[in-house]
Amino acid sequence: MRNSVNRPPTPDAVEDQEKEPTLQEIINIKMIESGEKEKLMELLRERLVECGWKDEMKALCRAYIKKKGTNNVTVDDLVHVITPKGRASIPDSIKTELLLRIRAFLASAAL
Amino acid sequence: MMSRNSMYTNPKPCKHLADYKLRHGLSGYNLLQEQIRTTPSGKSSVKNHQTEIPRCCFCNGYQKRLYLCLICSSISCSSHTLLHSQCENGHDIAVDIERSELYCVLCCDQVYDPDFDKIVMLKHLMDLPRSGNGVDVSAGRRSSKRRRLCSALELDLKKTKQLVSMRDLRAKSCYPLGLRGLNNLGSTCFMNSVLQALLHAPPFRNYFLTGQRNHEVCRKRSSDRLCLLCDIYVFFSAVFSGDRTPYSPAQLLYSWWQHSANLASYEQQDAHEFFISMLDGIHENGVKARSPIKDTGECHCVAHRVFSGQLRSDVTCMSCGYTSTTYDPFMDISLNLDTGNCPSTDLANKSLKPSDNTYVSTLLGCLDLFTKPEKLGSDQKFFCENCQERQDSVKQMSIKRLPLVLCLHIKRFEHFPVRRMSRKIDRYMQFPFCLDMNPYLSSSVVRNRFGNRMFAFEGDELDTSTEFEIFAVVTHSGTLDSGHYVTYLHLKDQWYKCDDAWITAVEEEVVRASQCYMLFYAQKMLYYKANEDLVCQPVSPRADPFLPIAGCC
Repeated sequence: MRNSVNRPPTPDAVEDQEKEPTLQEIINIKMIESGEKEKLMELLRERLVECGWKDEMKALCRAYIKKKGTNNVTVDDLVHVITPKGRASIPDSIKTELLLRIRAFLASAAL
Repeated sequence: MMSRNSMYTNPKPCKHLADYKLRHGLSGYNLLQEQIRTTPSGKSSVKNHQTEIPRCCFCNGYQKRLYLCLICSSISCSSHTLLHSQCENGHDIAVDIERSELYCVLCCDQVYDPDFDKIVMLKHLMDLPRSGNGVDVSAGRRSSKRRRLCSALELDLKKTKQLVSMRDLRAKSCYPLGLRGLNNLGSTCFMNSVLQALLHAPPFRNYFLTGQRNHEVCRKRSSDRLCLLCDIYVFFSAVFSGDRTPYSPAQLLYSWWQHSANLASYEQQDAHEFFISMLDGIHENGVKARSPIKDTGECHCVAHRVFSGQLRSDVTCMSCGYTSTTYDPFMDISLNLDTGNCPSTDLANKSLKPSDNTYVSTLLGCLDLFTKPEKLGSDQKFFCENCQERQDSVKQMSIKRLPLVLCLHIKRFEHFPVRRMSRKIDRYMQFPFCLDMNPYLSSSVVRNRFGNRMFAFEGDELDTSTEFEIFAVVTHSGTLDSGHYVTYLHLKDQWYKCDDAWITAVEEEVVRASQCYMLFYAQKMLYYKANEDLVCQPVSPRADPFLPIAGCC
């Protein structure tokens, strides 16, 4: 199977690659490489289920599908509709917890 | 290993998926299989061996959803999948890397293919430690299922028509059979309320009315000893005799006292306790009375045949994913009230869920709570066979086998060990008249653990229906120490309130608004058949004589 992940980008994207990676990107990449991001994602998923956020999102999706009709909705539609509401309704306690974890990671990774 | 379940309809593939399947078959899926990794929590992702982060080949982005083309393995983000499909003709089907789910680029939507899901599942199962995978891969147990179905039909009520010949002239012909008030013998409303429910549990009722309980040859009675089953038989005959004057179940009460000496008093008792104790008494009496049967592991006493089901409990190690499964029988299910409380106290968006005070508890909510995965506390660490040490774990309950009659008990008490007091919870709980237990079956619950997949388990309940109809509600009013039980019966589309000796027809709104304590549901088919025969009709002289049912005693 041809593995095209390393295929050179099309000419349009060349400019993007020459840009310096931002600090945010560096942190993100470090977190992914060390596996910390995966752990944080698992933690986040757990917390969001516990506090009922996932159920609320499910209910929103159902309401939307009911309104539009089951055959007129795609996953992309749902993602676009739910994302802003989802981001807005995340409890502060969860945000705080994750930020603390990221901070701890940065300290330990000695960036 | 896994067969298709006719009840579980697979969505039709879109044109593009169908085309892809025609041209490439399963080759793309098979090649992908090697790269699928599943976490202990059940999430499957596509991870190739490279340590580099997957990036979109057009914009180099890695933050959005990324899709892997099934034909050329190039990765595009959600903004550029269409671009890829335009560049390369026919590259329409991709896999969401994060979730291992199929995506059709041209339809801009998720698509489903049981073949793909099967391959993801297989990889997951192959990777799991030993055989602790929570999946019942044993050979089909069709034969036991068929026996259960036949057993249900044996308790057929065709023979009930015989009873009509005992019609008393005083009987009000507009009311259905078996409706008779029960006198309170001194705080015995707990007994009366449960008896009313038992009187109308279809297979239970039929067993006693059709003389399957042959009390003539009961050894106990002939030696003048008490026999609970005989007393129940006498009780049933009295109630279904057509006589509408309130009946005093004194003999039955006395019989029950003999069995449950610790509860023998004129104090108020708990109806649920009485119910369990009664079933236990029937089981013990039944087992002794009959000659030993070949031990199939299932008890054939009427209490078990009607009420017993099987629960499945899965405990999953959070480190490695190893799952330990146990099965336990049950005669009823006790449910905690779902109060909508969640650990996190501040939900930012208050408009979605205003406040806990307006959250209405529902039976489905309670059942969801019952089958919800529950993290076991750090003091209950489970010894994982695979890790060989105690680990944090998650427990999940589900129903392996449904009974013919499902009794749901709502736990309306809370205990405060510190203050050493208990309190009754008066919270209203909404309950449906028609209940589909499918989402709470082991097959559904275990299936959900593997994510959004289309497949069927070998052990799926293909034969038995999961639809139930309510026929009795036992309600309680008052406090833990002092209160009153009332039963509502649903017979032939009419609800009747049974308050000890007083029986009145009521509207269904009254029942819906009541504070339920025990709910009795019967399998739909049994319920409707039972209701057909409650009509008072004169017996034709040409009716079939009573035929003994083979193999029931």
